[in-house]
Amino acid sequence: MKAPRGYGRGGAAVGVRNHLLVLPSVVCSTHVAGQIAAAADGVGVVHQHGCLQVGDDLRHSERLLTGVATNPNVGAVLVVSLGCETLRGAGLAKRIGERGQIVELVGIQADGGTAAALEHGREAAARMSAELLRREPAEFAREELTVGLDLPGSGAEAKAIEAAFDAAGIATIQPPAGIEGPEAHVELAAAGAVIVVSRPPAEEAPMGFAVAPVIAVGHRSELHEAIAEDFDVSPAAGEEPGALAQRVLEATLAGAAGELTAAESRGSREFVLRRLAVTM
Amino acid sequence: MSELTGYRRENGRWGVRNHVLVLPARAGANVAAAGIAAGAAGAVAVRHEWVGHPDDPDAALVRRTLAGFACNPNVAAVLVVGVGPADAALTAEIAARGQRVEFLTLAEHRGSAGTIAAGQGLISSLLTTAAVAVREPMPISELVVGLECGGSDALSGITANPALGIASDRLVAEGATTMLSEVPELVGAERILAARAVSAEVGERMVRVVEDFEREVEALGIDIRGAQPTPGNIEGGLTTIEEKSLGAAKKAGNAPLTGVIDFAAQPGPHGLYVMDTPGHDIEQMVGLVAGGCQIVAFTTGRGTPTGSPIAPCLKISTNSRIFARMAGDIDLDAGRIVDGSVTLAEMGEEIYDGIVAACAGEPTASERRGNSEFAIRRAGQHHG
Repeated sequence: MKAPRGYGRGGAAVGVRNHLLVLPSVVCSTHVAGQIAAAADGVGVVHQHGCLQVGDDLRHSERLLTGVATNPNVGAVLVVSLGCETLRGAGLAKRIGERGQIVELVGIQADGGTAAALEHGREAAARMSAELLRREPAEFAREELTVGLDLPGSGAEAKAIEAAFDAAGIATIQPPAGIEGPEAHVELAAAGAVIVVSRPPAEEAPMGFAVAPVIAVGHRSELHEAIAEDFDVSPAAGEEPGALAQRVLEATLAGAAGELTAAESRGSREFVLRRLAVTM
Repeated sequence: MSELTGYRRENGRWGVRNHVLVLPARAGANVAAAGIAAGAAGAVAVRHEWVGHPDDPDAALVRRTLAGFACNPNVAAVLVVGVGPADAALTAEIAARGQRVEFLTLAEHRGSAGTIAAGQGLISSLLTTAAVAVREPMPISELVVGLECGGSDALSGITANPALGIASDRLVAEGATTMLSEVPELVGAERILAARAVSAEVGERMVRVVEDFEREVEALGIDIRGAQPTPGNIEGGLTTIEEKSLGAAKKAGNAPLTGVIDFAAQPGPHGLYVMDTPGHDIEQMVGLVAGGCQIVAFTTGRGTPTGSPIAPCLKISTNSRIFARMAGDIDLDAGRIVDGSVTLAEMGEEIYDGIVAACAGEPTASERRGNSEFAIRRAGQHHG
């Protein structure tokens, strides 16, 4: 099996991707963030939140955005703020920086509008991107990987997958109870997972994630068999859970060694933020 | 001054733009929808975060929002991209409302890449449908205008909002429909609006939507003052939600209140309506457009570049400083009222003319910038 190739981020954390994350603090700055990301080969997150949130819901969103931005797969972050939003871009950038991440801030209102923010953002992103390109990936021990498992209702197969990672000496983490799919991917990446194994329910399509590669594992359902090419691992007829788990482990290690996942190949970079309360 | 023009649709409604919309039925179809639109000049795709669990308590609300958006008359035709056969329900709802719609799924085309390839033929036939539509003089009674504010400041209630109110009153007097929204920003102004209601029933509903909102927020143990006014509002000189609300309600002028409607619902016959939406700029704009607004007039004090993928959004600044500073993001400057270079009444006429000109095809600042934000309103009960 391939050895993971990654990027040391100081301390124990190793990333398997080297993203420049262009992170809007609010839906209103996603358009500018997307244009900046496209110009600098960065990952631009599109989300629909960040304004008129309160209490635990606001803190939860801030915590997840901060966690995702400090995931080891992210080499540097450019926060794009509007300026009048509830989830303030300046505060978000500050918290990301306090956790040791390289971060800069672009503010649409602070910079004087869309055109000025784009110019500022493109300059900053080009500079940060050039810096990231200078970092060479190095082989590292698989024991340094943290794999997130999003395997709702998978029963024996989920247990076998967990056991396979355990036997390989790879740490796995689970999302909070009841959270699955793209919402789980955000939670897992915020908790430090650098690669995610995800098994969507039989009637749902697999989705990639902006920050961590997702190894999509299918079910033997009509839908999943029909769209097998959007999956990384599809179970064979009568395949034993242990054999499937072994293939999932191999696919995960290949993804960790830099091989593009099915979702990365088709450009699926979803970002679905779980909300705890209604928008005001 | 321009003449109001638009596109008459087969179902009798009028659009002021002529878009072909590629709509993912669920987030799992986002990539395929974007891929289809990317290869087709003139098509616009939205992406959203609706995963589509069938047991999600918000399923009906989300379907109404997506269907309403797709049926806005600014859309000539829709391509729904689904994951599997279950997504045919959204397509059927769109078709039932008289919209031209095609449907394809990942399941039929072996996944995202096959769906993008298969979508090319469908999208070009829909683009042909759109291309034969012609602009013609449009009766103003067919116009539905959303009245929105975002990033308010202390001048909002003095300059841009009352000027927009004057434009709204003229539109209503001429037989058009205008729609105020953002219930959280009407807290404290509900009785002023209710007093203008055409019937006791409408007046009671106006008070009730605000009270329901306050109760809902209270039940969640949330203090609305944690979100309203926003940090940006406070920096702009607003002090309380009530002060913000009294300014926000001025966008609706003095016309009688004809009705109060649910999020993304269609208004009835002509007049001034209030739609029950959150204050969030994008969620509410999606609701207004899903309710049939062909254009949204949007006042801003802090300066926000927001736009809709399918509707022009006419931006009006409350102060001249932000208009100059965010050059190219804002269409009209109502801040000139403060230095006396324009009267409130003249500004109202300028906004009315700006709405008509934008409807007649002049691109707004947000259209020139390509702003096309989209967000789905959730009722908040999901995940218990």
